[in-house]
Amino acid sequence: MPEHPAGSPRSGPTLTARQPRAIQTALTVLEAVAEIGAGATAREISAVLGLPRATTYRLLNLLVQDEYLVRTPDLSGFALGAKVVHLAAAAAPVRMPRAARDVLASARAEVRGGVHVVLYAEGRVAIADADPDFPLSDATRLAREPERFALGRLLLVEHGVTGAFAGAAASDLASWGVTRQIGELSAGYGCLAVPIRDATGVLAGAVGFSGPRHRVEEPGGVISVLAPVAQRLSPLLT
Amino acid sequence: MTALARAISRPEPVHEFAGRSPLEGLDRRSVGFADVLAQSVAAVAPSAAATTVILLVAGVSGTATVPAVVLAALIALIVARTVNQFARRMVTSGSLYTYAARGLGPAAGLATGAAILVGYAFISVFALLGGAHYFSIVLERVWVGAGGAATTVALLVIEAVILAVVLVRGIRLSTRIAFVVELASVLIIVVLLIVLLVQIGSFDLGAIVPTELSPSALAAGAVLALTAFVGFESAATLGVEARAPLRNIPRAIVWTVIVAGGLYVVAAYTQVAGFRALGLDLSASSSPVNTLATANGLDAWGVLVDVGIAASFLACAIASTTALTRVLFAMGRDGVAPVWLGRVHARYRTPIGAVAVAVPLVAVIPVVFAAFGGGVWGAMETVIVISAAGYIAAYAVVCVAAPVFLRRIGELTVAATVVALASAAALVGGLVTYLVVEGSAGNPGVWISLAIAVVAAGAIAWRVRRGARSLDGIGSYDEPVASEVLGGVARDREAEPHRA
Repeated sequence: MPEHPAGSPRSGPTLTARQPRAIQTALTVLEAVAEIGAGATAREISAVLGLPRATTYRLLNLLVQDEYLVRTPDLSGFALGAKVVHLAAAAAPVRMPRAARDVLASARAEVRGGVHVVLYAEGRVAIADADPDFPLSDATRLAREPERFALGRLLLVEHGVTGAFAGAAASDLASWGVTRQIGELSAGYGCLAVPIRDATGVLAGAVGFSGPRHRVEEPGGVISVLAPVAQRLSPLLT
Repeated sequence: MTALARAISRPEPVHEFAGRSPLEGLDRRSVGFADVLAQSVAAVAPSAAATTVILLVAGVSGTATVPAVVLAALIALIVARTVNQFARRMVTSGSLYTYAARGLGPAAGLATGAAILVGYAFISVFALLGGAHYFSIVLERVWVGAGGAATTVALLVIEAVILAVVLVRGIRLSTRIAFVVELASVLIIVVLLIVLLVQIGSFDLGAIVPTELSPSALAAGAVLALTAFVGFESAATLGVEARAPLRNIPRAIVWTVIVAGGLYVVAAYTQVAGFRALGLDLSASSSPVNTLATANGLDAWGVLVDVGIAASFLACAIASTTALTRVLFAMGRDGVAPVWLGRVHARYRTPIGAVAVAVPLVAVIPVVFAAFGGGVWGAMETVIVISAAGYIAAYAVVCVAAPVFLRRIGELTVAATVVALASAAALVGGLVTYLVVEGSAGNPGVWISLAIAVVAAGAIAWRVRRGARSLDGIGSYDEPVASEVLGGVARDREAEPHRA
């Protein structure tokens, strides 16, 4: 995996550039420790995140200094510190209003596959409601490598980030009004993202679909259901 | 829902942490960054060293004095970085002793512990003598005929009382005194140096470029200058008592080296350039800063500088004895020293068992010495060699231990290894050079250091052979307790030894 793929959010003076990236990376480190569980070693964490080892060690030490992480008694592993609860306000999932949840429930009944809603806040993908029946493939990776997911590509293209994915994503947006990813994360599956825009047309979030490859390659059917859903969610979420 | 959000809302129970720290009892997380920095800066006593050590460096390095000081500062900086590999990862009051034990095992831990105890104890003796010496100089200026052995003994007793009160009363008092004294004494010396620099006038390139480059003169000077940095790591002994210790202690250690190094380089340049401007020989002067001050019509500043240096010596004694007691405390808790050394004062939360041993020890030696009419300055020259040898030996072991430790916890990098090994090589080479230079100058401190090393090595060999098993758990540090861990459930300390 390339460490700094061209067009990753690490380049380009966009909205994301105003957000200190270190914070974003630090949060993905915490996510990784949460996922691996108490006792995660620096090596495991660096492998999961695909970060260079020296960078990982530095981030881990910074997070330990601030007590968001603690070292296990043998010093070689990490666990989440009690202080991460302070992040709860920031990390707490956005709770969608009931009207929005009702809209989403009927969409899920209609579409076979995962239907998720994310909000884009301060250049980050915040998961507002993940499909409980078809879970997101990898939420940590979505935060860390948004360019690999349709939901992340939509945000990046909107902020003018360029890169290998950008051409295809822009043409998808022009022809279908969505962004897509087909077979790159797991063969035979794909995902697409339908934008949710506020009254002024600014991108506020997205409705994501993940399912079998052919339904993303020929997205007309899925879009005919989800595009109206995105429109109905807009006044409820923005 | 992300894994983190899930962990926060429904934490998994974590059983690996104890309910209480092995170093419990001290005034935990009570002093901030400024205090921790003051502890380290006071232990280095840069204002005293800036006026005395430069003279010694000039004696061996000649025209390479400024480059030698710069080289020493760079070595101190890479040693500080290596010490910080430990300080960033564990909180302890045992400092270098605990680091070496964690990196290289019990024997190395005990050896480093012995070396750093010698360093802290003898620097405390040195600083008490220095404080008495400079206070008596100041007294003589205002009250002719006030000097003499009786005055020195009286001043030493006063210093010892202050030392005892401060160490018993708590870490905040001691670091606050250190902070005020160091701020004042460093400011006095900096202002004096700036005034002198202005009077010397335009930049003198000849003061920093050696006329002939002799590697041996440069190395000998750098080693002497390095002894002016020892003590920079002493912030690490306040691990348990510092707030945000894993951030503040490494910062304090590096900033101490930067503050002291900056001061020394400016002081070296000022003294070399000042003596060149006057056409005098720096190494022939007995008190170069005073000579320069007098020559430039700043005689009154000389008095102020002496007061500052005297106070700085007292602060150094307080800081170094503080460090000494914290290491003894950690050894008591580890069970390598008598258990009562690990006792704490119920109200002041100071390591009272260690204070009861350390304060009389460092206070009585100089008093007895002065009472029998020993020359204070000669004694200081002997004592500083023993202390510096202890410090440098301890740093060297810790620099070797760092890569081993990082490898064990799976966080070794090439850069860290290179820095650590370069530090270790510089320190070992430096220690040998230092002992040879001082030994050939006839300093008895060299032979006393070697005798202490032999006795310590014998005692450690005996202890390791006799009680290898009881030493397995040494190097205990201030582990995070279960309440600091998300989902932490305290494990039973007795059922499961804390060391993996």
